[in-house]
Amino acid sequence: MHKKSRFERLLLTVLVILTVFFFMAPIYWLLVTAFKYGRDAFAIPPRWLFFDFTLRNFQEVLSNTQTGRFLLNSIIVSFGATALSLLLGVPAGYAIARSGSRLLNLSSYFFLLLLMVPPVAMLIPFYLIMRDLHLLGSYISLIILDTVFDAAFVVWMMRSYFADVPKEMEEASLVDGASHFGAFWRVALPLSVPGIVAAAIYVFIFSWNDFLFALMLTSPRTKTIPLGILASFSAVGVNWGKMAAMSLFAILPALIISLFLNRYFIRGITMGATKG
Amino acid sequence: MITTSKQTLSRRQRWVGQMRRFLRGEGAYLAMLAPLLVFVAFIALYPLFFSFRISLFKYRLTDPNQTQTFLGLDNYSRAFADPVVLQSLRVTLTYVAGTVFFEILLGLALALLLSSEMRLMRTIRASLLIPMALPPLVVGLVWKSLYNADFGVIPFYLKEVGVNVGRGPLAELSWAMPAVILIDIWQWTPLLMVIFLAGLKSLPVEPYEAAYVDGATRWQNFLFITLPLLRPTLLVALLLRTMQSFKVFDTIYATTAGGPGSVTTVLNFHIYTVGMTFFDMGYAAALANILLVVIAILSILYIMVLERQQL
Repeated sequence: MHKKSRFERLLLTVLVILTVFFFMAPIYWLLVTAFKYGRDAFAIPPRWLFFDFTLRNFQEVLSNTQTGRFLLNSIIVSFGATALSLLLGVPAGYAIARSGSRLLNLSSYFFLLLLMVPPVAMLIPFYLIMRDLHLLGSYISLIILDTVFDAAFVVWMMRSYFADVPKEMEEASLVDGASHFGAFWRVALPLSVPGIVAAAIYVFIFSWNDFLFALMLTSPRTKTIPLGILASFSAVGVNWGKMAAMSLFAILPALIISLFLNRYFIRGITMGATKG
Repeated sequence: MITTSKQTLSRRQRWVGQMRRFLRGEGAYLAMLAPLLVFVAFIALYPLFFSFRISLFKYRLTDPNQTQTFLGLDNYSRAFADPVVLQSLRVTLTYVAGTVFFEILLGLALALLLSSEMRLMRTIRASLLIPMALPPLVVGLVWKSLYNADFGVIPFYLKEVGVNVGRGPLAELSWAMPAVILIDIWQWTPLLMVIFLAGLKSLPVEPYEAAYVDGATRWQNFLFITLPLLRPTLLVALLLRTMQSFKVFDTIYATTAGGPGSVTTVLNFHIYTVGMTFFDMGYAAALANILLVVIAILSILYIMVLERQQL
């Protein structure tokens, strides 16, 4: 409705460029630091574009058997928590979406509340309980604690997803004599694969990025990748190139997902504030 | 003898029949929800209950006898009189107010700036989502290297324009708080942009048409139409970010570890220190429970607001 003057358009373009620079520069910096020699990484004035390219940081990181261990641990914990939270959360989300009972419908708010519990409130009792059960440093302790938050999220997300899936086909199969479980398993589930994939991805990232729980519950043998990055730190001074190379492994899933699946990711992270 | 066993059998059959009918109806849904409820009861509710119980005791892991002395609510009254806790509460409120205020302001500005449906804009918007998917610990470490006094990019350019930050933004008393707030702004402003974009898209066009007829300027449009209509979205954004901001831990751990002094020791970090460095479990649990109550109140408000908007 309003025409923009040439000056305004120039101003807006400059603002967009500044915005992109502000948000992308730190990620770009991490990326190039991983491919720099120490002397270029520490150079003053900073070298943004011209430096000697090297893969030495990656060689160092990968030749260290520990790195493989950290990655493997992260993968075990993230996949474990994702699988368990889908197993528990998807049927629960379906039940809440389809049930006519008001109590069951309201229970979705209970899961939203659970999702918002500050992690530190769970941490101290959970640490003591796991210590008494001699489970500190085990994968299972980290997996089940992650699953509390992951499953609550899956329920919250799948409830709204199933609510958007038309009920008619399930009702038809019920009329044909299928049980509610049958209708869920053979009709509703195949129709909701995209939603399940989205929930799985979000939950995976959540577990992959977790630091606080892993800090408390892992032993040197079960450390996940964020702890591995910190460990590489304190040994002999700070090797920022190595840190950057390891960080690239840690941010890889997040990068892939936010680039290709951001619609689902948004829906998850805003916790119901947008429909994505 | 035989008749009684027949009777019990038939009673059991009746019970099985009832069970089957129950599972054919609403009971099936309950059965699908039950495994999760049992899991949550053991893994989440029991620890929270346990946390309340130990918060009533004096319980130090460093004590060789592991004695637990019952204190009643003393840990709670101690918390409200503890100057360190009050200081960390002040720090937390500063952090929350600073991050939420700037993120809402900038998020709204970004939403207005990048709302065009051009292909390039869509790509830019998608790329801005990367920061919030990254592990907060890595984000903290990246910014720590950017802030480094010796080779960091930020102190270097600040010095170029005549601002000397001494030992680097993270190590100076007056710089540390703004420095960690900036990291939060970097990571979470795009989230608010997304929320505001959705809010802007859902606005009706009629008021704008009427305003156009009346000859309103764009600034007037924004002030008298867009902003009032966006109020529900603003409320959602405010509550959501306030809740999340209260929980900050990873970036503080990675950058300042609460320092210098205690100017960035947020409550969350203080609780961690009390529990995991001093092993004063009863007191740490009491502090954690206070935080839990604050967050729970905010969460319930958030849910009520969300619920009202969907009506």
